[in-house]
Amino acid sequence: MEINRVNTRIIPFRFEYHSPSSLGEALTILSRYGSEARILAGGTDLLVDMKQRLVEPRHLVDIKRIPELRLLREDVGGFIIGSAVKLRELERSEAIKGRLPLLHEAVSSMGSVQVRNMATLGGNLCRASPSADAAVALLALEAEVLIAGPTGAKRVPLEGFFLGPRATLLRPDEILTGVYVPYPPEGAGSAFIKLGRTSLDLAIVNIAAALKLRGGIVEHCRIAMGAVAPKPLRLRNIESLLSGRELTPEALEEALGMVEASIKPITDIRATAEYRREVSKVLLRDALKTATERCGGRRS
Amino acid sequence: MSMSGKSFRVLGERTARKDGLARVRGLERYASDYYLRNMLHARVLKSPYPHARVRSIDVSEAEGLGATVITFRDIPRVRFCPRLVSTPEATYKDWLVLTDRPLYVGEPIAAVAAESEEEAQRALESIRVEYEVLEPILDPLDSMRPGGPQLHETILLGDEEVRVEGNLACRLEVAEGDVEKGFGEADVVLEREYRTSRRYHSQLEVKSALVNPEPDGGVSIWCTTQTIHNTRLLIHEIFGIPTSRIRVYRLPLGGSFGSSIHTNLVVPIAVALALKAGRPVKLAYTREEDMHDHSSYQMIFRLKLGAKRDGRLTAGELDMVMDIGAHQVQAYPLLGCVVGWWVSLYKLPSKRYRGRAIYTNKVPSCAMRGYGNPQTTWMVESMVDELAEAVGMDPLEFRLKNYVGKGDIFWGQGPTVKSVIESCGVEEILRRGAELIGWDKRPKPGEQRGRYRRGIGLGRGFHTSSAGAAVPGTVVDYSGAILKVNEDGTIDYITAMVDQGGGSLEAHAKIIAEELGVPLEVVNIVAADTQTTLYDVCTHASRGVYAGGGAALRAAREVKGKLLELAARVLDAYPHALEIRPDEELGQGIIYARGVEGKEITIGDLTTMARHKNWGTIASAVSFRPGSCPPHFTAFFAEVEVDTSTGRVRPVRVVAGADIGTVINPDLAEGQIHGGFAMGWGLAVLEDTPYDPETGDLLCRGYITDYKVPTAADMPDVEDFKVFFVETHEPTGPFGAKGLGEAAKNPAAAAVANAISNALGVRFYELPITPDRILKALREKG
Ligand SMILES: Cc1cc2nc3c(=O)[nH]c(=O)nc-3n(C[C@H](O)[C@H](O)[C@H](O)COP(=O)(O)OP(=O)(O)OC[C@H]3O[C@@H](n4cnc5c(N)ncnc54)[C@H](O)[C@@H]3O)c2cc1C
Repeated sequence: MEINRVNTRIIPFRFEYHSPSSLGEALTILSRYGSEARILAGGTDLLVDMKQRLVEPRHLVDIKRIPELRLLREDVGGFIIGSAVKLRELERSEAIKGRLPLLHEAVSSMGSVQVRNMATLGGNLCRASPSADAAVALLALEAEVLIAGPTGAKRVPLEGFFLGPRATLLRPDEILTGVYVPYPPEGAGSAFIKLGRTSLDLAIVNIAAALKLRGGIVEHCRIAMGAVAPKPLRLRNIESLLSGRELTPEALEEALGMVEASIKPITDIRATAEYRREVSKVLLRDALKTATERCGGRRS
Repeated sequence: MSMSGKSFRVLGERTARKDGLARVRGLERYASDYYLRNMLHARVLKSPYPHARVRSIDVSEAEGLGATVITFRDIPRVRFCPRLVSTPEATYKDWLVLTDRPLYVGEPIAAVAAESEEEAQRALESIRVEYEVLEPILDPLDSMRPGGPQLHETILLGDEEVRVEGNLACRLEVAEGDVEKGFGEADVVLEREYRTSRRYHSQLEVKSALVNPEPDGGVSIWCTTQTIHNTRLLIHEIFGIPTSRIRVYRLPLGGSFGSSIHTNLVVPIAVALALKAGRPVKLAYTREEDMHDHSSYQMIFRLKLGAKRDGRLTAGELDMVMDIGAHQVQAYPLLGCVVGWWVSLYKLPSKRYRGRAIYTNKVPSCAMRGYGNPQTTWMVESMVDELAEAVGMDPLEFRLKNYVGKGDIFWGQGPTVKSVIESCGVEEILRRGAELIGWDKRPKPGEQRGRYRRGIGLGRGFHTSSAGAAVPGTVVDYSGAILKVNEDGTIDYITAMVDQGGGSLEAHAKIIAEELGVPLEVVNIVAADTQTTLYDVCTHASRGVYAGGGAALRAAREVKGKLLELAARVLDAYPHALEIRPDEELGQGIIYARGVEGKEITIGDLTTMARHKNWGTIASAVSFRPGSCPPHFTAFFAEVEVDTSTGRVRPVRVVAGADIGTVINPDLAEGQIHGGFAMGWGLAVLEDTPYDPETGDLLCRGYITDYKVPTAADMPDVEDFKVFFVETHEPTGPFGAKGLGEAAKNPAAAAVANAISNALGVRFYELPITPDRILKALREKG
C-alpha cells in the first residue's frame, strides 16, 4: 500500500552509482544497462521520484563530472548551455541576465537557493513536467535541444521534445547534452510570470512572452504557457493572431478570447481547472503588457 | 528600564541567547540527531484505510528478514489519553499504541526494527495484512447524524467506561444571564456561521524517539516532547514500568506549536520495540508520516451577537461543532477554553454556549499555537467589525467600548478557571497601533474599483499566561526549579521545562541573573531529565516565562536568602542589609554591605568557604503553582493588497502591539510576533488539509509540496512590520512578566480577514480565504 511504501526520505532498494568523466563513457554505461539506468543530474526531481517509488533504477549515471555538459558558452547567434549547468549558475551569470533575460527571470523563480544550487537546466527539461519553469521560457525563446546517443548527435526544436508528463523524445541510451538558445531579435522585450500559492511553489500557471514591436506593429511574438496542458505549450495561434498587428485593446481582447480554447487545464490540489482558465488570461494580459514595456530597451 | 518605571539590569536588555549559535550553525542536537551503539532503526506500518478492521496480519516474512516486529498483540491493551494535563475525571481515553481497528489513514498497526532504516523499510513492505474495509465518515456534521458508521463504541472517562452516541466525543454547555432578554434589548442582532480549516503544524522537526532498554528493566528516552514528565507518566501507564526507571531526557525542540503537548505515538512504539528487541531503537517519522500524525482542530461556529445602538453588547450565543479526527487528545478541555476565549474578548452581560466535539475518520487533532483561540478570535473579530458597521460605529471604538480589561472577571481557561485581570494595556495598544497604521485614513469597504485594492484590518486578542488558578480545577499547572551555586560562583539551573525554540529557558536564566545580581553568563542551563528534575507540566498555554519563570524566580529568591545569610556570617553584617552586584571583570556576583567599604565577598569565595566550613551546598528546589493565568494582550493592524484578477492577497504593512507585562527578551519577543503573524497569515489565506473522498487520505498525501506555508519571502519587509510593546506590570508574574507565544498569533488571521473585507467590501465566513474563493465572491458580488 502506498502509504507504507513511499515518503521523501528513504530509498529502500539498492542501486549502483556510476560517475563517468566523459560523454563517451556515460553513453557506454547507458547502452549497457538500458532502461535499468537513469541519468542523475542535480537529483532534485529524480531522488524525489525514487523515494516516491515512481522509478526504481538499478543504475544511476551521474553526469555532473562530464566537463562539456557543464559548459556555458556563446555560439553563433545565441548560447549553448550544457545540460548539467546549475540553475544558480545561470541566475548568477551576467551574460545570461543581459542576453537572455527571459530565461534568467524564469530560472530565478525556481525553488529555493538550495534547490537552484543543485538543480540543472537539463533536468528541468528531461523531467518534462507540465509546469517546468525553464521549459516554458525556453519554448518562447525557440530553443533547440542537443542530444547525444550511440549513433551520434542531433539537434531538434524543443517544442517537439516533450511528449507528455515525464515523457520526452529521449531514448534510455541517449543524453541531453545541452540547449541552444538563440538571442531574441534586437529590441525585443520579454516577461516571465509565475503564479504559485506562495513564493516557493511550483506554478499553478506560468507564462513566458517575447515581443518585438516596430512602429507599434507586432513584428515578433512568442508565447508559451505551463501547467495548463499535459506538457508546456507554445501558443502559436495567439502568436499569429498578434503578429503584424497593432497591440490595440481589441487585438488584446481577441487574443485573450483564444486562450481558453488553446489550453486544457486540469483540477488538482494546486488549483481548479476553472481558476487556471481564468488566470491564464490574466497572465497573458500581464505578460504582454510587461514585455511591451520592456521593448526597445537594451539589446535584449 | 521598563515603561512601568521599574529599572532592571538584565531584563529587557538585548542579549544573545545561550543556545543561539549552536542552533543557527546546525550544531544543536535534536532528538533525531542522537545515536546509540548497536541501535536498531524502526518503521511503522500504517493503515491505508480511513476505517477498517484488521482480519489477519502475517509478519513471518519480516521476521525472516531478521527484523523485530510488533503488532497490536505485543502491546498491553491499555486505552489511554496521550496528553496528561487534565485530572483523571476530565480525561477521555480512546487510544491504543497499535490498533486492529484503524480509524484514520496512517493509524499505526504494526512496527518493525532492523539494522538500518532501509532494511526496516523492506521488512515493513513484506508484512501482509488483510483488512475488512469499513465505511468512513469524513465530515463532522455527517458524522453526528444517526445511522452512520460509529468510530468508537465505548471510551473511558477516567476509569469509567462510557458509551459513545452519534460519534459525539464530548460536549459542554455553559450559560450565564438571561440571553433572551439580552437579545430583546439589542437594537441589532447578527447571526452567522463561520468555518475554519484543518491545518498541519509544519514544525521543522518531525516526531522522533530513541529508546534504550536499561538492564534494570527500565528505559531511557530521547524524544520530541513538550513535557518530559508527562511522557514518563504515560509510558508508566501503558507499560507498567516503575516511574523511577523511566528516564526521559529534555532536548531542544525544532519547533512544535502544540504537536507534542501530548506524547507522540513514536515514543510508546519505540519503547515496545526496544523492550522486545533488547536493543536501542530509533524511530524518526518521515515528513509524510508526521503529517499523518497530528492536525489542528477544525471548528464550525454558529455565532449570534446583539448590540445596542450605542455599541454596547447585550447578549451572545455560540454553538460550536469541532472535528477532532479519530481520537481525543484534549477535546474536552478545549470545549471549555473555546467558551473562555469567546467571552473573554468582549463583555457579554448574558451568554449561552454549546460545544460539541465530533469524531471523524481523520488524523487526530491536537492543540496548535493558540489552542482554538485563533479560530475563535477570527470569528468574533469578524462579527465585531460587522456589528460596528451595523450600528454605525468605528470598529476600533466599538472594541474599546466592549473589551474585557483591568478589573474585569477573566474566564481565560474556561468556566471553571476565573480570575480578575490585574494588568491590561489594551487601550494603549489600540490607540498607538491605530496611529501608526493610519487607521483614520483606511478606505471605506467596497469603495475601490481598480484591479489592486488595499484594505486595513484590525484584529485584537489575548491568551492566558499558563493555566494557573486560585483553585485546583481540572488542569494541572505547576513548575519546578532547582538552583545550586558552584564553587566558582556560577549557578546551575535545573528544570524539566522544555524550550520549544522560543527561548523560554533563556528568559529563566535572565530572571535568575536579575534576582541574584549576577552576570547572565554565570547562569548555566543544565542538561536534565526526569530523574534529576522536579515536575513541570508542559511548555504550553504560553506559560514558559510566566509559570516556569515564576518557579525560577522563587528558587533564586531562596538561594539569594541563603547567600546573604552566609555572607552575613563571613562579613559580620546583617543579611537584610546586604546586596549583590555583578562584577563583569570577575565574571561573578559580589555580595556587599551597602555603604561600608571592604565588606564584600564574591559568590565564588563564599561558596568555597562554605565548603571548607562544611556549611553545605547553597541550593534551592522550588515547586511553584501560579495562582492565576493573566491574559497577555495583542493587536494586529494589517494592510493587505488584493489582486482582484488573480485573487492573490499580499501583506503590505503590519503594525503589531503587545502587552506582555515586563519584556524580558525584546528581540525574541518581537520574533514571536513576526512568527505569529506568519502562522496567522497561513490560517487566513493559505492552509488546509482537505481529504480525498475516494481514498479517505489527505489530498496532499502528506507531501509538503502541496501543503504550503508562508515563507519569509511571503511576509512584508521587516521595515514594514512594526512591533511595539506597551509595558504593564503584572503583579502575579515574575518581575511583572506575562506570556506571549500564543497571543502573538491569535488575532493575526482576524486582522488579515478584516483587511481583505475592508479592501473588497465582501465578508468571508470560511477559512482559508483562497484566491479561488476571492474570485468567486467577487463574481457573485458582480
Ligand atoms: C523543493 C523543490 C522546489 C522546486 N521548484 C521548482 C520550480 O519552482 N520550478 C520548476 O520548474 N521545478 C522545480 N523543482 C523541480 C526540479 O528542481 C527542477 O525540475 C530541476 O531543474 C530538475 O533538475 P535536476 O538537475 O535536479 O534533475 P534530476 O532530478 O537530476 O533529473 C530529472 C530527470 O531528468 C533526467 N535527466 C536529467 N538530466 C538529463 C540529461 N542531461 N539527459 C537525459 N536525462 C536527464 C533524469 O534521469 C530524471 O529523470 C523543484 C524541486 C524541488 C525539490
